[in-house]
Amino acid sequence: MKFRKKTAFFVTILICSSFFFIAGATAAEKYHFGVALGLTGTGALYSADQVEAIKLAVEEINAKGGFLGRHAIELFIRDTQTKPDVGVREVKDLILRDKIRTVINDYSSAVALAVKPIAQEYKVLHIAAISNSENITMINPSPYTFQVVPNTYMQAKASAVAVAKMAKAKGWKEYITMASDYEWGRSTQAEAVKVLKEMAPNLVLKKEFWPRLGETQFTSYITGIMALKPDFVFGILASNDNVAWIEQAKTYGFFDKIAYPGSLISVTELILQAKTLPRNIIALTRAPFFAHLDNPLMADFVKNYRAKYNKFPSDWAVMGYDAVYALKQGVEKANSIDTEKVKDSMRGLSVNLTRGKLAFRAIDNQLSCSSYVGTIADDPKYPFPIYKDIIEVKGSESERPESEIVAARKAAKK
Amino acid sequence: MDITSLFAQFLSGLTYGTILFLVAAGLSLIFGVMNILNFAHAALWLMGAYFSYTFWNWMQGNSFSFWLSIPLAGVAAAAVGWVIEVVLIKRIYKRELYEQLLITYSIALIISDTIKLTWGVTNKLIVRPEIIQKPVFIFGAPLDSYFLVVIAAGAAVAAGLWWFLKYTRYGHIVKAAVFSREMVGALGIPIPRIYTWVFTLGIFLAGFAGGIQAPIGSITLGMDTAIIIQAFCVVVIGGFGSLLGTLVGSLIVGEVLSFTILFWPDGAMVLIFIITALILIVRPWGLFGTPMRI
Repeated sequence: MKFRKKTAFFVTILICSSFFFIAGATAAEKYHFGVALGLTGTGALYSADQVEAIKLAVEEINAKGGFLGRHAIELFIRDTQTKPDVGVREVKDLILRDKIRTVINDYSSAVALAVKPIAQEYKVLHIAAISNSENITMINPSPYTFQVVPNTYMQAKASAVAVAKMAKAKGWKEYITMASDYEWGRSTQAEAVKVLKEMAPNLVLKKEFWPRLGETQFTSYITGIMALKPDFVFGILASNDNVAWIEQAKTYGFFDKIAYPGSLISVTELILQAKTLPRNIIALTRAPFFAHLDNPLMADFVKNYRAKYNKFPSDWAVMGYDAVYALKQGVEKANSIDTEKVKDSMRGLSVNLTRGKLAFRAIDNQLSCSSYVGTIADDPKYPFPIYKDIIEVKGSESERPESEIVAARKAAKK
Repeated sequence: MDITSLFAQFLSGLTYGTILFLVAAGLSLIFGVMNILNFAHAALWLMGAYFSYTFWNWMQGNSFSFWLSIPLAGVAAAAVGWVIEVVLIKRIYKRELYEQLLITYSIALIISDTIKLTWGVTNKLIVRPEIIQKPVFIFGAPLDSYFLVVIAAGAAVAAGLWWFLKYTRYGHIVKAAVFSREMVGALGIPIPRIYTWVFTLGIFLAGFAGGIQAPIGSITLGMDTAIIIQAFCVVVIGGFGSLLGTLVGSLIVGEVLSFTILFWPDGAMVLIFIITALILIVRPWGLFGTPMRI
């Protein structure tokens, strides 16, 4: 009898403890994850792709129990309308009402820059996965803000580095620059010319063209450049100007005669403008899936994304997906969802993403991601043109030197 | 630099001049007859481009959609212009110049926002028929084949306006109104009605020019802000109210811009403004205009 009582007692204890254990596991705190992107306005197209990829990543992680296998992720998605004031309002609401721990934001650098101090004030992680102004991480840095997209400096330098490599390979001797006549165009042109001079000292800059910002008629520039017969034209034109330029130049057969590197043409444009985009144009992009199909992570992502959405992922989708998985690896290294611990663990963290093994730079939380330059050409495997002869310019080749970042921060404080 | 390259640059200037003429013709006509400096002209030109995109989109699949969308853009813009004239412009004929400027500038802002609300902020692209997608070569100089259409349209507008002003009764009235609207009114001709139709015709030309511009590149917000300045340079150089002056002014601006881009890229626009300023100082009524009425 005594033995039976003892057994019953131990069995009861065992059942109770396992109940508490199970209950404890299922009741582990959910991870509230905010997404505040420009779902309407100019950023709608890119942001929608990114939201899809984020949802896919979250589904995959939740299928395995969530972060650390026990913190299911709950997504809270808001529209910033690509406006800084709306972005700040929505992110504040996500923080105060929905108690988010991380926010992916934004399409527009202006919005991301406005949200950065809010995220820092409320100690919430802030990941920029489309917006890429260098100042998001360079000036007034926040330990809570991370960037998983190549920033403006990296893109400009990558473009010049790739062109210098091409110039050597193809024996180019003379070039012309054509840049929008305002601060960004002038400074980027100066940087590109500097890099080209360093990397390909034999290249001669034949002429500089400065079409004004908002130029709609490029005809005289086109015939003028064709008359000068350079080996290539380094283009630094703002978005709408670049579209107008490409549309007009292609009707002159410009791109068949003169190499034109420098345009930013993402996978979105490759898909949407499949019929009208000129072939043989040399362009730059941020995260093309077809550059990393040899990486199983990318191959799986593309397969799953296509199965779920019946389309190929854009650069913005790739970077959104990588943002979630970078955070996941930060949480795993911290072995906690505590934001302070995750923030510290992500600083300088090496992460395994669809774009390969990359690392966050400790000085600015910028991911050392690559930029991609290639020639736009048709491929029978895809219903749209892709990049051929891709030159992947690594983050290490295109990042701003740390000494310059330190100097810029000092200058900003004065 | 070989002669073919220079000829190619000349053709570029000619096409740009034609585009400017199409925009400036309506602007000059409205000012010449009505004494209204219409700052909203380029905004209505841009609206014409968007109208053209909409018509082309609606009729996609039909072989004529591309060609029909251009004049339809002019008609739609003219309808908007008619409403603007009847509702707003009619009330400011006798106001001071600065009040007229404020009103037309306000209209330009309203139209810009209306475009944004109606068509959104993303660029619009009209795909040209295959026949005008490739360059043609004239004496070895390349030219976008669509620019043959642009030049033909410019020539047709110039010839049509010349015929209208020279051979039609309404044309005679309009020409007379340029010199003295009081005299025209004294002859029993209803001046307000003439004004309404001149304004509508001017805006038709703006919309038509927008339709012509649309397939050249993508249609984007803000395109109007740059072209209005150049259109004003054209009418200042050529003379407000003078069809010939507008044509010559457009070609001067187009060619000067084209060759300066080639030889002195930094000074392309500067030279245009210098010429405009010189004309304003030496001959304020322009090369072919008449002195302003008092």
